[in-house]
Amino acid sequence: MSYPQLPTDFGFTEEHDLLRQSARRFLDERCTIQDIRRFSESAVGHDPQLWKEIAALGWLGLVLPEAHGGAGLGHLHLALLLHETGRSLLPVPLLASALAGFALEAAASDAQRARFEPAIASGETLATFALCDEGGGWQADEIRATAEPGDRGFVLRGVKPFVMAGAHAGLVIAPFRLPGGELAHFAVELPTERVRVESETGIDPTRRTARIVFDGARVPATARLEGGARDATAALQRVHVRGFAALAAEMVGGAESVLLMTRDYAIARKQFGKQIGAFQAVKHPIVDVMIGVELARTHALAAAAAIDHGPDTAEVPARMAKALASEVYPVAVRRGVQLHGGFGFTIDCDVHHYFKRALWSRAMLGDGTHHRRQLARHLLGPLSGTAPE
Amino acid sequence: MSQGEQAVEPQEIADFRREVRAWMQANKPADPGFKLPQSFLEVESDRQFDFLRAWQRKLYDAGYLGLDWPAEYGGKGDRLQRQRIVSQELSRARAPFLVNVIGLQWAGPTILHYGTEAQKKRFIGPILSAEEIWCQGFSEPGAGSDLASATARAERTPEGWRVTGHKVWTTLAHKSKWMILLARTDFEAGKYEGLSYFLFPMDAEGVTVQPLIKMTGEGGFNQVIFDNAPMPKEALLGQEGQGWQVALTTLLFERGAAEGSGGGQATSSAESVHRVASVAKRAHRDGRAAAQDPVLRDRMAALWIEEESLRLASLRARVPGLNVDRPQALRLMNKLVYSEFNQKLSELACELLGPESTLWLGDPNAFDRAEWPRAYMNSFGMTIGGGTSEIQRNILGERVLGLPKSK
Repeated sequence: MSYPQLPTDFGFTEEHDLLRQSARRFLDERCTIQDIRRFSESAVGHDPQLWKEIAALGWLGLVLPEAHGGAGLGHLHLALLLHETGRSLLPVPLLASALAGFALEAAASDAQRARFEPAIASGETLATFALCDEGGGWQADEIRATAEPGDRGFVLRGVKPFVMAGAHAGLVIAPFRLPGGELAHFAVELPTERVRVESETGIDPTRRTARIVFDGARVPATARLEGGARDATAALQRVHVRGFAALAAEMVGGAESVLLMTRDYAIARKQFGKQIGAFQAVKHPIVDVMIGVELARTHALAAAAAIDHGPDTAEVPARMAKALASEVYPVAVRRGVQLHGGFGFTIDCDVHHYFKRALWSRAMLGDGTHHRRQLARHLLGPLSGTAPE
Repeated sequence: MSQGEQAVEPQEIADFRREVRAWMQANKPADPGFKLPQSFLEVESDRQFDFLRAWQRKLYDAGYLGLDWPAEYGGKGDRLQRQRIVSQELSRARAPFLVNVIGLQWAGPTILHYGTEAQKKRFIGPILSAEEIWCQGFSEPGAGSDLASATARAERTPEGWRVTGHKVWTTLAHKSKWMILLARTDFEAGKYEGLSYFLFPMDAEGVTVQPLIKMTGEGGFNQVIFDNAPMPKEALLGQEGQGWQVALTTLLFERGAAEGSGGGQATSSAESVHRVASVAKRAHRDGRAAAQDPVLRDRMAALWIEEESLRLASLRARVPGLNVDRPQALRLMNKLVYSEFNQKLSELACELLGPESTLWLGDPNAFDRAEWPRAYMNSFGMTIGGGTSEIQRNILGERVLGLPKSK
């Protein structure tokens, strides 16, 4: 598979720009770096007021259908929005909600979508998607949690760690394995008996996660998402492709912020009687980050355009976007800390907020190594099984 | 940034592309049976030169050059977009490059920008038809990255000017009728204000062109010594003392940071990861195809990601709403990212060939006629010429990011 065709303008319209502008205005006011510092230290880990506000802006239903209370917009809109929220480290689980929406779109029947999506779009239900299984596996063949058919429903067993906003979610969607070996996605309303939600102490306090333990939880048959156009494995793949593109867009926004912070510091800070940004040993690494950010941003936008143009052929663009963002963001934060000098690795230098988000984001939904391995199959054909070490 | 064929286009554009593609297929010259240069930087023999010049002429006669240049000067007065399509299709067809690239891409747009009516009428047509080849006299032994410290001197005479000085790295000087020349007309004025820009006739008395040999053993570029060489009054382009500003315009075009060149491409082989992938399937190491080596696969995938990012960036660069944070970044990055990408790619091709990469031009067993080590060595022409990668990083840091000047 090669890179698919895209509209030469990526499908960009004035309407896209209006969303970007309004998002930036809102975030500049309601999600300042002071807010991030405060949030990082809060014990609660969720801001219901901010949640209501972004719901009112329509962000939670951005790509959900209008018939279900959404705005019916495309992935390019979402990518532009997530760039801005990543730039501000918006600490409410917009991404979790988006992933849950992707799962419903990919796997659920119309009736199930009509049941869940309006409450997600309005913000009434905080929905999330359990990306990982115990041990961190996240691809179809790594799902170990099980669903056994029982009286009038299923019994769910297994562990889903690293669930975004798990402690505050009213609905979690997750893949489970049926006795025959095939996958099925379940939408489980929380709280539910024999489902334990344990808050995790995560590296990134702006993105709180929980470990959800399904300890023989009984759920009704209607909790199984089925009736969509594709089988559960293909549905999971579709969630992943959209997820790669979405997370990549958010990551590039974060890298952009770190670039600007580092640039500003290199202008403000003087040593040897000069602004340190005049030294090429400082200037050139910052320029290289900028180049990386611009190319990663290009891939993130193109991946979104590719999904809008045809989600079934967007795998290569989405993987490229996540692969490059997973290289560029970590480099941006590494140089950001380093170039801020001694101040850079103190808690007072705000780069660390992004540093932690970068590590989290690289680890989720496949890092550069993972995606390049998959892309190499498209470029060079499969790796034969007997390759020597 | 070039290419962009994988895009959904309006019907009329798609039709034009189809027409150009068909023309290329029917008219692209066959392999002449002798070694062709990889780029305009290494044109040596007369037969290479004649072959390439005839190809440019053919393309011009077909109406595929100067599409967006004004009709009264020999262009077509059409849209830039069409010229872009021709360039993309040239690249796609792996057609020979256009030998008058300095005329088409650097001198031509600068003359259209600063030239008098008479200059535009005189020079543009022969640039397009390759009747008159151009070279560039900017760098000097003592003025490379610090170009504005050039000391070649142009002194006024009753008839015009006389030039004394020494220019280096002068690609195609041995085949050129004209040179865009940066020379100092005022030694009292400041470093930048003392420079003027000329359209110098290479057949003037007092001009000596001496070939320089590159690390590949290929010629194609030169040094040019001026000993009181005369040029007429009309040789001045722009105002006296405006030379630095005019030269910066040339550099914008040279680096691909501005669009509106006469068309064409500077190299025949738009190297692509897919070509290196095919090398990896044919080359063997550790008892299997190089394409089966997991580490090399990872590196090729990384370059594929980079190559696609450059192609996509050329599309994104034309959508202002997708560049609001740094409107100039993508264009000013162009030369740096492309030249470094091509260098990495050709180096990787050499590495994955292993021992096969060690045979050189002329050896009957050389893999792909030693194209890859040759391409790797020649790639430095692009990371050094036209402003080194280091100077490009200074420009990006200062002009795009607003960092303080390094000097």
